[in-house]
Amino acid sequence: MTSSLWRQHVLPFTLLLGLLAGATLAGDYFLHRMNLVWVGRYLGIPGILLIIISLIYSLRKRKFITAGNPKTLLTLHEFGTWLGSLMVLIHAGIHFNAILPWLATVAMGVNVISGMVGKLLLSRSRQHVQSQREHFQLRGLSRPEVEQAIFWDAVAVGSMTQWRRVHIPIFIAFAVLSLGHIISIFIFWGWA
Amino acid sequence: MSRIVKIVLTLNLMLVAVLTFVYPHLMVGPGKLIPGHGKLESDCFACHTSLSGAASERCVTCHKPDQIGRLSTAGQVISKPLTSVPFHQKLISQDCVACHSDHAGVKRFRQQGSFNHSLLNKETGSRCQSCHMPPTDSLHRQISGNCSQCHGMNKWVPATFDHDNYFSLDRDHNTRCVTCHAANDYSRYTCYGCHEHTASNIRREHVKEGIRSFDNCVECHRSADEHDIRGGGNEGRREGGRDSKAEHEKHGDD
Repeated sequence: MTSSLWRQHVLPFTLLLGLLAGATLAGDYFLHRMNLVWVGRYLGIPGILLIIISLIYSLRKRKFITAGNPKTLLTLHEFGTWLGSLMVLIHAGIHFNAILPWLATVAMGVNVISGMVGKLLLSRSRQHVQSQREHFQLRGLSRPEVEQAIFWDAVAVGSMTQWRRVHIPIFIAFAVLSLGHIISIFIFWGWA
Repeated sequence: MSRIVKIVLTLNLMLVAVLTFVYPHLMVGPGKLIPGHGKLESDCFACHTSLSGAASERCVTCHKPDQIGRLSTAGQVISKPLTSVPFHQKLISQDCVACHSDHAGVKRFRQQGSFNHSLLNKETGSRCQSCHMPPTDSLHRQISGNCSQCHGMNKWVPATFDHDNYFSLDRDHNTRCVTCHAANDYSRYTCYGCHEHTASNIRREHVKEGIRSFDNCVECHRSADEHDIRGGGNEGRREGGRDSKAEHEKHGDD
């Protein structure tokens, strides 16, 4: 993989993902430091609501609904899922011990990463590999030489194209596991 | 999504669902129960009522209120009770979860050892020493009872009472409580409990300044500083209209 693909595309993606991890740790530290741990306990509710609202884009994309600007809804989807995931991650960090919600958290994490690969990394990386290919062809390299020169970039892009294969099934897993967690809370929590 | 992925996904989620019903304490329980409740670990509804959480009505099926602190749930006499006096019998209502919780993950959010004193009936609530050891410092050794005059029900420290709001206990007044508050009655005080202040010399000094009303010393004097005359109003005014502060300042300058 050339250094420019790393610097221009992979690094921003890594930084955005790192920001999510950093914000989670900072939020968790802040809540503990300010003795506001109970806030984290309830952050799961707005977090999951944000994620649910952001799914309007998925409904629009699959034509279950026809209203709404797809581009605006995509922005809402990206922002809503990132912020909602942050809230859920902080919520998850506030000490809970059951396996089911941890599985849901792991599924959400994979879902977020696959989604970010799909929208943030894939299209830019494709453009980058294509421009590299054209660049080498203009320099007079033969087709096998061009393919050899961009081999690792092409492999990286090829693996990124698998994001959709992961994104949808893992979202279903996340949805079912989260629903299980929410139902169990409704059954056993003392709401009164 | 391919058919194989759908099948694998469905099987996995079904497995998780089965595990949740077989091992609910691991899958959805927020941490271990206390050792005494260990046998109830996989029987969530022994304590929980659907949609309303842990219910006190379930607690009292094992923990009989009239036996708490005296007998165990198995009916054996408790040889080393946690409190010197059983008090659960004195509660105005059996709201167990107001003070108690379980599951390690839940107990982290609850202040351990907290007790809602408002659940005690009035008579028991006023007898602090029946549950609490009196402090052994030099101040509290002089006092018995009437804790609520200085301390709230929620926490012992800080005390809700600040003596400086009434009178500063400076080095000239570093004395035993009983010098001013006879019989541990902190609703009353006297300034004549020491040799420095006697009824006759106080009267003489005040009458000399034209001050006729001087029964309530702290109304004007909040410290040993004779220049620090804070109040008085009409009560402390000298006959003829001049206020006590001006008079004391003048008096102090003499």
